Amino acid sequence: MSEPNHNGIDSFRNNLKSIIDSFASSFLRSGKPTSDKSRASAMFNNFFLHVQGVKTHMNTLRPTYTLGLGLISLFLLLITTVSGVVLMIYYNPSIENAYNTVKDITYVVIGGSLSRNIHKWAGEGMIIFVLFHMARVFFTGSYKKGREFNWVIGIALLVITFGINLSGYMLPWDQLSYWALVIVANIIQSPKEITDSLGITQYFDVGGFSKELFLGGLNAGKESLTRVYLLHVMLFPILMFIFLGVHFWRIRKDGGLTKPDSFEPQESDAQLFSPPEKKGGIFTTNKTYGLMELAGGRTPAVDKDVENTVLSWPNLLIAELAVFFICFAGVVVYSFFIDAPLKELANPLIPENPAKAPWYFLGLQELLSYSAFMGGVGLPGIALLGLALIPYLDREQEHVGVWFSGKQGKSVALQALLAGTPVLVGLLAFVISFGWFRNWWPNVPQLLITLVNPGNLWVVFMMLWSVWVIKKTGSTRMGAIALFTMFLVSFVILTYVGTELRGPNWGFYWSHSQWPPH
Amino acid sequence: MKGAIKKRGNIIFSLMLLSLAFVAAVPEAEKAYGAVSAGDLGKRIYEERCMVCHGDKGDGKGLVGNGIMRWAEKSGRVLTVYARDFTTGAFRFRSTPTGCLPTDDDLVRIIDSGVPRSFMPPHKELPIEEKKAVKEYIKTFSPRWKEDEPCKVIAVKKPGYVGSASSVEKGKKIYKEMKCWECHGDDGKGKGPKSDKLKDDWGKQILPFNFISGQLKRGSSPENVYITFTTGLDGTGMPSYEDSLKEDERWHLVSYTLKLMGLVK
Amino acid sequence: MRNRFYIMTLFIAGVVLLAFTLFAAYKEMNPEWKAYQKEYKELLVKGTRDEATKKKARELETNIQQLYLGGLKRIDRCTSCHVGIENPLMANAKVPYRQHSGDYLKKHPMSSFGCTVCHLGQGRATNKKEAHGLAHDTHWDYPVIPLKYIQSACVQCHDLDMLKQKGADKIVKGEQLLRENGCMGCHKLNNIGGVLGKALDIIGSQPRIYFPMGFVVGEKTPYSWIKQHFDDPRAIVPVSEMKVKVTEAEADLLTTYVASLRAEEMPKSYRRILETQKDGKTSEDGEALYKKYCIACHEKGKDSLFDEIFMHTIPAIVNPAFLKVVTNDYLKKVVEEGRAGTQMTAWKASAAGLSGQAIDNIVDYLTSKRPKEKAVPFNIVALKGDLKKGEELYKVRCALCHGANGKGELGINLRNPVVQGADITFLAMTVRDGREGTPMPSFGKNGVGLSDQDIVDTVSYVKTISKKK
Repeated sequence: MSEPNHNGIDSFRNNLKSIIDSFASSFLRSGKPTSDKSRASAMFNNFFLHVQGVKTHMNTLRPTYTLGLGLISLFLLLITTVSGVVLMIYYNPSIENAYNTVKDITYVVIGGSLSRNIHKWAGEGMIIFVLFHMARVFFTGSYKKGREFNWVIGIALLVITFGINLSGYMLPWDQLSYWALVIVANIIQSPKEITDSLGITQYFDVGGFSKELFLGGLNAGKESLTRVYLLHVMLFPILMFIFLGVHFWRIRKDGGLTKPDSFEPQESDAQLFSPPEKKGGIFTTNKTYGLMELAGGRTPAVDKDVENTVLSWPNLLIAELAVFFICFAGVVVYSFFIDAPLKELANPLIPENPAKAPWYFLGLQELLSYSAFMGGVGLPGIALLGLALIPYLDREQEHVGVWFSGKQGKSVALQALLAGTPVLVGLLAFVISFGWFRNWWPNVPQLLITLVNPGNLWVVFMMLWSVWVIKKTGSTRMGAIALFTMFLVSFVILTYVGTELRGPNWGFYWSHSQWPPH
Repeated sequence: MKGAIKKRGNIIFSLMLLSLAFVAAVPEAEKAYGAVSAGDLGKRIYEERCMVCHGDKGDGKGLVGNGIMRWAEKSGRVLTVYARDFTTGAFRFRSTPTGCLPTDDDLVRIIDSGVPRSFMPPHKELPIEEKKAVKEYIKTFSPRWKEDEPCKVIAVKKPGYVGSASSVEKGKKIYKEMKCWECHGDDGKGKGPKSDKLKDDWGKQILPFNFISGQLKRGSSPENVYITFTTGLDGTGMPSYEDSLKEDERWHLVSYTLKLMGLVK
Repeated sequence: MRNRFYIMTLFIAGVVLLAFTLFAAYKEMNPEWKAYQKEYKELLVKGTRDEATKKKARELETNIQQLYLGGLKRIDRCTSCHVGIENPLMANAKVPYRQHSGDYLKKHPMSSFGCTVCHLGQGRATNKKEAHGLAHDTHWDYPVIPLKYIQSACVQCHDLDMLKQKGADKIVKGEQLLRENGCMGCHKLNNIGGVLGKALDIIGSQPRIYFPMGFVVGEKTPYSWIKQHFDDPRAIVPVSEMKVKVTEAEADLLTTYVASLRAEEMPKSYRRILETQKDGKTSEDGEALYKKYCIACHEKGKDSLFDEIFMHTIPAIVNPAFLKVVTNDYLKKVVEEGRAGTQMTAWKASAAGLSGQAIDNIVDYLTSKRPKEKAVPFNIVALKGDLKKGEELYKVRCALCHGANGKGELGINLRNPVVQGADITFLAMTVRDGREGTPMPSFGKNGVGLSDQDIVDTVSYVKTISKKK
């Protein structure tokens, strides 16, 4: 009867010794990833990791293919979220306290100014990288072959990214915040330009209603701050994560990232990943239903290995970890040197002149200066609609996974760049030097300006050019490339004009130093 | 009058030959300064328009000429302004060298355009004969018009380098060397070490020009500034630099003066 | 090595991340104020003799120091660097360790008052640049006030009489200078004053952007702006027409007072202002009013002056010749209505805001210098004015100064409605007797020599001159 006692103490001692191993084994349900099978299981059986496939195509792991842009956008979002939660410990969203709490975070809280900087720069960096990611997806034709809807989800995510950045910009309640809020509210009111021209505002004031809904009143004030805070920490993040979940799920279900039909493994690939141990199937002769893949819409071929794939554990994970570190390091270095701006306390009596929206909206604000409705609602709406429709208007399935769809695409893009830039710059130079209709004919009806203004003319030019390209090349894909390239060109140029070349009263100045002294 | 003389020329001619002896006593200056005699017209106009400041004897002691007029400059200085005393023959704005009388044109020009930034108003609406008549009458106040030798008019030709950066630099050096700053101050604001003690020919305090205060009374073109240096402002403390500075040196000084006035970058 | 590329980038990025995290940590652990507190500790330890104090000094914790001032709705963290401000042992130390001068802290304990309520600056900041808020990129509208202007803070709670007794002479002198140099002739204060300049009411609280700093020399703060504006108005605001002649010392005193004109009221528990002082309706005598509102342009009022900046003649309003012929009613009218088109403001209650009684007081003061002898009467009714002759005479005699159409430059504008509406006898007597001591000569028998008829002709023509173009 004493035997069980000895075994009891011994087994207890043994358990204590092997506690790490047993913890690891319980944590990873399929045990330590030492074989291909266990590596596969580690991915498949994990709550977080199973959103990614067990196997990853080699093309996905080539840095020059995706440049890691999607991952960077995701990691920036995560960094922003975590730093945002940290800031929420101290920030208070009332107009009496908001500014002071931001000041206290910067001055007193240990790590406060770094957290604030990280939050700001990761957030704004997200816009840049989301746009780059959209460009990469477009130029590699990755909105095709079943991935059309995911593109639309991506456009939705783009809008949410802009929204979450904008709402965050308004929270410190300094002069930048307050006047950005006023401008955005007026942009929201821009349908009034149309209803006024048609004379129907008294019956149908959609502009005024939307503005009041946004501001929580007739003027920007404490209700507006509460609403903007709600948007920024609750509604937009929830939407963002829902759409992001769908976005990742669709990536899996649509067959992972695109790859060119002509994909061949190269020598240089050897330093990117390690190939699976066995060639020709990782499965034993026993069929397991647990591991399934869908590639290219065909049913799983159980005893045939998917060509040119490698195990996600560790290859994909290492790549993702590397991108994460690069991203995080970049954000920390930038935040170490450059402080997030904070101007004087919001003062409704002293407008910023020029009152500017954050930089990513300045292209839009430039268009706004031509026509309120077109710049605020019309052209952004057209742009988003145009972007969303791309996968449905260009259904060619060739050259997916190839940057610019090959040589022809590259030259089409270059031509579009070289044609679009001088046309847009010329149009802007004309408007800046000579003005537009109202400068020449003071009594011209507003509706005419709404319909015929530099922004509209540019969009018409873009569309005509891409139609011409479609005709010339006989390919909708080429037309799409031309259109998208011009869209990027105009985004960059208009944003530059709005940021650097517009001064007080939205007047044209070659540089900041020429602004009249205040 | 000329027409009348011509008509009666034959009769008068012989009489003139006889009176040559008497006429010979008349100094040349009268002919040199023009043969238009003032007569009643000039006197009348003078008494109507000028006497109230310049006095019936042309000595500047008219009803309001003698220290009643006050002028506040842009710089804040308040000056007491005196009407010009014609009896000494010392005039500021001439085109002749220092110590000389002004030409007839000089006088008519002042009557016509007035002296800006002073109490001497323009008289543009006066017909030219009346201006000339007044000018003749004014000349009667000083004996110098009969006695002095005529002087040559100074030629003014502006070279191209006036206003250039190198000319300004040279002018700056000359400003320092010629001690302009003693009256006009280092910054040209008229508060040099000697500025408080300056007196004009009539013993009244006179202040050196403050270059920041706006237009020069003679006009602010480069030619006008040059001529001021060359002729000096007789009657004031501003000497002529015709002898002490070469022509190009004076033009460099013009560049620097314009710079102080803010008319040149 | 497998995955070499990613492992290398991971490693490098990781090193960079670690490095900068450590740099950031180091920066966080060594803020500016820590160095100051460390040095303060050392000064204390070195400066004291007895061991007990030395021990206490060594055991001082380095922490952010802050004063939470609920009543004043602010937090002041100045003592994070200015650690020794209440320590008598630091009486001779160098700034920022030095004890506060004087015994102000006895009556104004830091725990209730903090620092920024008098010294301004950004109390919440914890580094010197942003706490002092002097630089433009600190984006703080109320930078630390130079010590020479510090008395501008006292007026928030104390009245001037009390300050006078307690030796706050700068602010008292500043207020007197403002009152006696005619500043309110162009600047409104408490709703009374001229409109040529900006109102002064809350100028001490205006944000930095209110002041055009383009020409300010040195630190671009509101105080430098105000002081330099007193030194030379046109150096700071080129289009300014401000007439001011004060010494540098007086400019500083005036700046002290002007900086004290602030918007916020201190909470009641802090204020020590006697209620009776707040009543500004004490009827001031004419001379005080003249000094408050008129003296900047009219000076003593005896002589006229052509002002190159105004481009108008400032008339001599206490001129004996003028006072002899003018009636009190006319004077009152001119003061009430002003002279539109010139710098002379309309002073009536609905315009610049002086009450009828105040204007009467000013007129009484002006006319108190009226000479005893009355002017020789002018029997204008007997003579009929010949407009044609008057026009001829005007062209020859008057146009020189008053302009061909009466607009005037050296002389006053005769087309002005107040002049046009004046009594014709007054105009005739003016022309006849002139204004002695000003450029307006006497045109009558004792002066230029015009006859009464000539004068009547001229004056009748003058009365019609506003109809001419």
